[in-house]
Amino acid sequence: MKVTWNLPGGEAVTAQVDYGQNLMEAAQAQSVPGIIGDCGGSLACATCHVHVATDWRQACGAPGEFEDAMLDMVDDRQDGSRLSCQIEAAPALDGLVLTVPES
Amino acid sequence: MTIWTPQDDGHADLSSHDTFAQGAPHNTFARLRREDPMHWTEYAGGENFWSVTRYDDITQMNKNTELFSSARGIRMEDQSYEEYLARRTFQETDAPDHSKVRMKLMKAFSKTTMAQYEQEIRDICGEILDQALAKGTFDATKDIARQLPMRMLGRVVGLPEADLPWLVEKGDALIANTDPDFTAHVMDKLETDEFRMMPFNSPAGAELYVYAKELMEEKARKGDTSGVLNMILQPAKDGSTITETEFRNFFCLLVAAGNDTTRYSIAAGIQAMCHQPELLAQMQAGGAVWETAADEIIRWATPALYFRRTATRDVEMHGKQIRAGDKLLYWFISANRDDSYFDDPFRVNLMRNPNRHLSFGQFGPHVCLGMWLARLEVTVLFQELAKRIGHIEAAGPHKFLRSNFVGGIKELPVRVVAA
Repeated sequence: MKVTWNLPGGEAVTAQVDYGQNLMEAAQAQSVPGIIGDCGGSLACATCHVHVATDWRQACGAPGEFEDAMLDMVDDRQDGSRLSCQIEAAPALDGLVLTVPES
Repeated sequence: MTIWTPQDDGHADLSSHDTFAQGAPHNTFARLRREDPMHWTEYAGGENFWSVTRYDDITQMNKNTELFSSARGIRMEDQSYEEYLARRTFQETDAPDHSKVRMKLMKAFSKTTMAQYEQEIRDICGEILDQALAKGTFDATKDIARQLPMRMLGRVVGLPEADLPWLVEKGDALIANTDPDFTAHVMDKLETDEFRMMPFNSPAGAELYVYAKELMEEKARKGDTSGVLNMILQPAKDGSTITETEFRNFFCLLVAAGNDTTRYSIAAGIQAMCHQPELLAQMQAGGAVWETAADEIIRWATPALYFRRTATRDVEMHGKQIRAGDKLLYWFISANRDDSYFDDPFRVNLMRNPNRHLSFGQFGPHVCLGMWLARLEVTVLFQELAKRIGHIEAAGPHKFLRSNFVGGIKELPVRVVAA
């Protein structure tokens, strides 16, 4: 599936991601700046924060309980805030657009 | 010029604290990464263990907490279940217990919260450096590196300034509990089991506990609800509160972890500056180097040499049969020198980017809570140091801590010329 990361400077990274892969790891594989993922996707660092574009929020779903608590710690939390390690590439998300917040 | 050449013959005893008093045995780690990445390591002081030395293995295994648990202890030394219960902190637990405690603390240590302390750190660094540099020749670990972390932790936690020297001493006794320079109770030479239920098997743990208790009572009397300690005393969402033992152990963990890891990162950075003179010029040029310098210094230092996990069931890796209950040591110090992942790992490259080192135990739920504070302290300290000096060199050989758990330069004689 296709994912686009909009970067704070106005540039964007677009890549093909295999189904099943989480989008923090996908971002790392593409060296998307600002997506760090220090805890390897175990909900302990909040360094893979993204804003999901409005049109995609329903398909991505809402954050889970621990993710929600982690998101309280990030700068610039918005309605579409998610930790990208908790979003898995799936057919319903093909074309997904994410924004990397300014860190 | 090389910074320092490992002296081991490639077959060093990784279970021996004496080995590491000569510096980490990098020839041994290099051989194990190459020939025997899942190495059954004999340990005269207890059960043998597996040494995991490759970067890729550690990053994969560190995520797999269901198979490799933290809830049986995180150091090489064996503990009875009774001792484990008495001494554990949230470091020694798995999800969901671990997540519950961590949630309470994350905000106090987040990047945003830490950034607010930058000016305070800069002021403290300035004070420490001005005093040390005026001497010209001095021990950089004692006069610079040892001073900053506890003074900063005191601010974050809300401890009285006057108590900090005492806390540094107790913190040293806890974590450097295998080095006779820091404790009268050298852990692997103890003839008593009197302290086995105390944090770090150390009498300092008992003293710190009394201190923490009195401090919290004092704060409660004054109605002072600031600081990290109050945060952890608040009930969780499900109404549960931390027990007295858990609180004691957490306080000891803060004092131990906040005290020496950043110290040894700073010391390692200064040692690197003595042997790679270009580093000072790069720091003085400033700019983008500060976005990457701290992580490279912290990779170079790797103060937490390993953490241990315990297999929860039988599994085969690299042709070796790991049994349920076996201990596995993730040697971060080895992963951080793995040349299949890092280019020229034995050179300090302040512009290294990306730099996914494992000094903070990354790629797992136990990734260091204090990492943003550590990065900020290291960045600011070296910014302020580089501003003030024109030259730095070794003024004698340095000495390593006697510990296979905490890697650090405990004596670092240097000579400086003011800018």
